[in-house]
Amino acid sequence: MAKGTTIRMWRRTLFLLAVFMVVGFGAIIFSLIKLQLVEGESLQERAVEQQMKDTTIPAMRGAIYDRNMRPLAQSATVWTVVLEPAYLTTDEQRETIAAGLSQILGMDKKEILEHTKKKSYYDVLKRKVETEVKDEILKFKEEKKIGNGIRLIEDYKRYYPFGSFAATILGFTGTDNQGLSGLEAYYDKQLTGTAGRLVTAKNAIGTDMPFQYEQKVEAQDGYSLVLTIDEIVQHFLEKYLEEGVVNNKVKNRATAIAMDVKTGAILGLAVKGDFDPNFPLIISDPTEAARVANMPEGDSTTEEGKKIKQAKTQAKIVAQQAQWRNKAVSDTYYPGSVFKMVTGSMGMEEGVVNENTQFFCNGAAVVSGTTIRCWKHGGHGGETFVQGLMNSCNPVFIKVGEMLGAERFFKYFAAFGLTEKTGVDLPGEAGSLYYTANQLNPVELATESFGQNFSITPLQMITAAAAVANGGYLVQPHVVSQVLDSDGNIVQSVDTKVKRQVISEDVSRRMSKILQMNATTGTAKNGYLPGYRVAGKTGTSEKVAEYNAGGKKKMEYIASYCGFAPADDPQIALLVFFDEPQGDSYYGGAVAGPVFGKMMEEILPYLGVERKYTDAEMEKLDVATPDVTGKKLDAAKAALQKLSLKQKVYGGGDTVLKQIPESGKSIPQNGTVVLMTDAESESRQVTVPNLVGMTLTQANSAAAEAGINITVSGAALTGGKAQSHSQSIAVGTKVSPGTVVNVGFIEFDQVQ
Amino acid sequence: MSGESRRNPVPKPRQQRKPYAEKSAPEPKQPASAKATPLTKRVRKKFRVFSVRSGLDMPFLFLVLVLVVIGLVMLFSASYAYAYYNYGNSYYFIIRQVAFAVLGVILMLLISYFDYHHLHRFAIPLLLVSYAFLVIVLFLPAVKGVHRWINLGLFGFQPSEIAKFAMTLCFAHLISINFKRMDTARYGVLPYVLLLGVTVLLLIREPHVSAAVIIIALAGMMLFIGGVPLRWFGAAFGVALAGIAYLVLFTSEFSYANDRVVAWLDPFTTEKNLLADTWQTRQSLYAIGSGGLLGLGLGQSRQKYLYLPEPQNDFIFAIVCEELGFIGALIIVILFALLVWRGVTISLKAKDKFGMLLGIGLTLQVGLQVVLNIAVITNTIPNTGISLPFFSYGGTSLVLLLAQMGVVLSISRTSAIEKT
Repeated sequence: MAKGTTIRMWRRTLFLLAVFMVVGFGAIIFSLIKLQLVEGESLQERAVEQQMKDTTIPAMRGAIYDRNMRPLAQSATVWTVVLEPAYLTTDEQRETIAAGLSQILGMDKKEILEHTKKKSYYDVLKRKVETEVKDEILKFKEEKKIGNGIRLIEDYKRYYPFGSFAATILGFTGTDNQGLSGLEAYYDKQLTGTAGRLVTAKNAIGTDMPFQYEQKVEAQDGYSLVLTIDEIVQHFLEKYLEEGVVNNKVKNRATAIAMDVKTGAILGLAVKGDFDPNFPLIISDPTEAARVANMPEGDSTTEEGKKIKQAKTQAKIVAQQAQWRNKAVSDTYYPGSVFKMVTGSMGMEEGVVNENTQFFCNGAAVVSGTTIRCWKHGGHGGETFVQGLMNSCNPVFIKVGEMLGAERFFKYFAAFGLTEKTGVDLPGEAGSLYYTANQLNPVELATESFGQNFSITPLQMITAAAAVANGGYLVQPHVVSQVLDSDGNIVQSVDTKVKRQVISEDVSRRMSKILQMNATTGTAKNGYLPGYRVAGKTGTSEKVAEYNAGGKKKMEYIASYCGFAPADDPQIALLVFFDEPQGDSYYGGAVAGPVFGKMMEEILPYLGVERKYTDAEMEKLDVATPDVTGKKLDAAKAALQKLSLKQKVYGGGDTVLKQIPESGKSIPQNGTVVLMTDAESESRQVTVPNLVGMTLTQANSAAAEAGINITVSGAALTGGKAQSHSQSIAVGTKVSPGTVVNVGFIEFDQVQ
Repeated sequence: MSGESRRNPVPKPRQQRKPYAEKSAPEPKQPASAKATPLTKRVRKKFRVFSVRSGLDMPFLFLVLVLVVIGLVMLFSASYAYAYYNYGNSYYFIIRQVAFAVLGVILMLLISYFDYHHLHRFAIPLLLVSYAFLVIVLFLPAVKGVHRWINLGLFGFQPSEIAKFAMTLCFAHLISINFKRMDTARYGVLPYVLLLGVTVLLLIREPHVSAAVIIIALAGMMLFIGGVPLRWFGAAFGVALAGIAYLVLFTSEFSYANDRVVAWLDPFTTEKNLLADTWQTRQSLYAIGSGGLLGLGLGQSRQKYLYLPEPQNDFIFAIVCEELGFIGALIIVILFALLVWRGVTISLKAKDKFGMLLGIGLTLQVGLQVVLNIAVITNTIPNTGISLPFFSYGGTSLVLLLAQMGVVLSISRTSAIEKT
C-alpha cells in the first residue's frame, strides 16, 4: 500500500493534466492565434475607427463687400447644440437638461425630453445658436455639473447687415451655408473655402487621449468678394425704383441697372419685388404673402385636403421663386423703342442714314402688305433722322431696317451681343430669342427695327446701350471686381473685358449727341437734368407674346428708360424698367423717365460728374442764397438785388435776424428771400399749398401766393406741356415763409 | 487541539495516519539517518508548526513571483486610465494591489513553512465557516444586482473565494481519509455530492454561476483523481444534462444568461438592446485584435481609455494582449501552464494523498481560472465573471491566492521532487 500517490491516481492525474493542457490551454492559445494573428488587422481597424474621432472644422464663408469695402454679406460664428443622450443614465439628468435647455433655447421641454431618451451619441437639437446663447448653455452645464450629454459645435451663420439691400445680387445661403442664389451661388466655391479636419484619438467618453494621434488640417476660410456694386449707387437705385413701383402701381416687379460704360462694371443692380436674404423663405411682398397665407390649409387625411395642402405649398414655392428671380438677368422682354438707339447706330455706321436724312411718316408703314402703325396715328410728317429718333417714330426705323437689310441688321444685332449671353457673373442668365438673318423676312425685320418681336434681357439691353455710349466698344458686364483670400490678399482681379468694337467712335459720339437732344427736348425729356448732359431713350414694350397667348385680358406694357451721362464723355449707363405699370400711364417716358432722372440726379454728383450748363440752362439756373443775416435791412436788400432776387420783409426791426432760405440754399432765379427783423416775425408760418397737377406757371403763382419758393425738376424746363406730379413738402405742412419746395414735372406724352 | 491530541499519540492503528510517519521509498535526498529515526520522534518533528526540514520548490516559487510581478505591472498599465477618470488618481489601484501583493508574498512564504498536515483539522470547520459566509452574504445588500461581496470597510472579500479553498481542502481531507472506499457510493460519492450540492445551491442563490462552475469542475477532477469509478461521472454527466435542459426549457432563472448566449454568438451584433451586453466583449476583442503579433507596446493600450469597462478586473488580459501582442500573451499563458504543470508534479510526488490532492486541487483551481478567464475575454465561452489569477485587481483575492500558493509550497517541502 503506497503511502503517497497510487498508480491509479498517477494515471488519472496525468490523464487529467494532459487533457487540461491540450483542451484548456490549447483552446485559449488557439483563440489568441485566431483573434490576434488571423483577425487582428480587421479588429484593429474597427478599434481605430472608434478611437479616432474625425471632427470637421468648418471654414468661414468669405464676406461680400461693395466697391468701397462696406460689408454686404458676412459670416459670424454660431453654434450647433448637440445632445449625447447615450451618456444620460438617469431620468433626473434628462429632466434637468430638458428643463434648462428648453428655457435657454426657447424650445418645448417635452420635445427636448424626447431627444434625451434616444440611444445616440450625436443628436442635433438646434442649429445656428448665437454665441451669447452658447455661453448661457456653458454656464448651465457648469452650474448643474453636466459633463457629458451636451456638446456645442462651432458653425457659421450668414448675415446680411442691410436686410433686403442688394438681395437679388447677393442671393442667400441654405442651412449648411451653401450658396443657393445670386453671387452666393455663383461664387459658392470661392466663398465656401475648404473645411478642415481634426483627427484625434478619443477615449470612450469623447475626450482626448494622451496620444500623439492628432492630425489637424486647418480649415481654409472662404475667399471674399469685392463687388463693383457701390452701396451709395445701389441705395439710390433701390430707393427710387421702390418709389416708382409704388407710384405707378407696378404689377410685375421692376429693375434698374447702373453700369460703368467703359469697364462693364455694374455699379448697382436693383430688383424690386425682392426679399430679405436673412429670411429668404419669407414672402416679402405683403399682398402676395397675405394671399398665400389666406389660402385654405387643407389636411393630409383626405384626398381633397391633400390637394388643397399641395396647392398652398405650391403657391408658396412659386411666390418664393418669383422673389428670388433676378429680373435683370433671368427675364427677357421686347426692348421696344429703347432699341432704336441701336438700330440708329447700325444705320449711321453703315452710312445708310445720317443726322439729316429725310423721312416721311404718315402714321403707318406698309411692309410686304402688312401695315405697321406709328404710335402717333396722325403721323409725324416730314422729319429728319434726328427728329425721327426724338419723336420715336416707328416708320423711320422700319425704313432704316429696310435700308440695312436682314444681313447687315443681323450682323450688328449679333455684334451688339444680343445673340449671346453677356457672361455676367450672376447665375441664371437667360438667353435671348431672335430671328437669324435667314429667318428675318421683311415684316420681322421691320418690327425688330423698332425693338419688338425679339426678346433680350435688360442686362443685354444696357450692355448694348453702353457700347453705343462707349465709342462702340462692347464690354462684358461684371459684378465682382476682386476676389480676396482670408488675409485680404488679392487672389483674382477682374479686368475690363472688351469683346469687340461694334460701331466707330465717331458714330458713337454722334448718336450720343442725338440721344442727349432726345433727353433734353425730345420724347425722353422726363429724364432731363440741367447741366448733366443726359442722353436717353424711352421704351414702351407691348407684351405681345403674353397677349397673344391669351393669358392676359388686356395688353400689358413694360415701361423703360435707358440712357447714359454725360453725353460728351459717357461714364454711366442706367436702365430703368417697370413691368406692367397700372398707374396713370404705362409709357416709358412718363413712368420710367422721372425715376431715371431722380436716380441720375443723385448718382452723377456722387460719382463726381461736373455740371456744365448751356447758356439756356444758365438763364433758368437756381442761385445760391447770399448770407444777409445780421446785416442792416438796406444792405441786405442791396445784396439781394445784385442777384436779382426779390425780398419780403417781416417785422419792424432794421436788422435781419433770420433769412429764409438760409444762406447757401439754392433758390430759383427771381425767387423771393424772406427777411425777418424781429422775434415775432420769426415764428411766423405759412401753409404749403397744393402744387401738383399744375403747369410751371400755375405752380409758380401758387407758390408766390403762399409765400414760399419752388425749385423744379424734371421736364418743366424743356417741355411745353409738362405737368407737376410731385412736391417735396406735403400739402398743408406749416413752414416758415420763403421755404423752398421742390416740384417735379413730367410730360405725359404718349410715346412708345 | 483535542483532535490532534487524540490522533497524535496513537498514529499507528489508523490506516490513514501511517503515511504521515512513513518515509516514501523513492525519495532520494532524504538523509539515511532519517530512515533510522524512530517513528514517534519523526512524527513529533513533522508536526512542528513550522517545518524547515527540506527546501521549498524553487521553480514553483519562481513562477509565482514572476506572475505576481508581471501581474502588477500589467495591472498598473491597465488600470491607470480608468483610475484617473474615475478616482482622479492613476495610482489608485496599483498602490492597493502592491500592498496586498507584498502582504500576500510574505504570507505565502510563512505558510510554506507551515506543515500543511495541520490543515486536516481545519477542513470541516473552514467549510462550515464558508457556508456561514455564503448564507450571510445573501442577506447583505446587493452590489450591481448580485450578492457576492462581504464588505468589511477596509477590505472586502467574496465568500465564494473562501468556498473554493474550503471545498478543495475538505475534499482532499475526506478523499485522503477514505481513499480506499472511494468506489463505494456511501463513502466515495454521497458525502461529496451532498457538500457540493449545498455549496452550489448557495452560490446560485447569490447568483454566482461562474464560481459554482469552477467548484463543480474542481470537485469533479479531485473525485476523479481520488478514484471514483467512471460510471458515476457518466451518471453525473447525465444528471447535469437533464438539469441544464430543465433550466433552459422550464425556468427563467437563467434568463439573464440567455442574452449573454446571444451576445456570445454574435458579439458585433447591431441589435440595440444587446449593445450593452456585447459592449464589453466587443471592446475586449478590439483590444486583443489590436495587439497583433507584437502588441502596441507596454502602456500603449488605447482600449483601456474607458472603452473596455473596468480593464483592471476580469478583462485585464485583453489589455495584456493589446499591449504585449500575441508573443507576450503566449509567454504569460505558458508561464501559467508551467505553474500548473509544476504544481501538479509537486503534488504527485507529495508524501501523502492529502498533500497530493490538496496541491493538485489548489493548482488546478488556478489553472481553471486562467483557462476560463482567457476563454471569456477571447469570447470562446460566454461572458461570465471570472478573474485572472495574479493579474486581476482584488486585494483579498490576491492574498488568498498567494496563501494557497504557500500551501502548495509547503507541500513541495516534503515532496519527492527535484527542487533545483
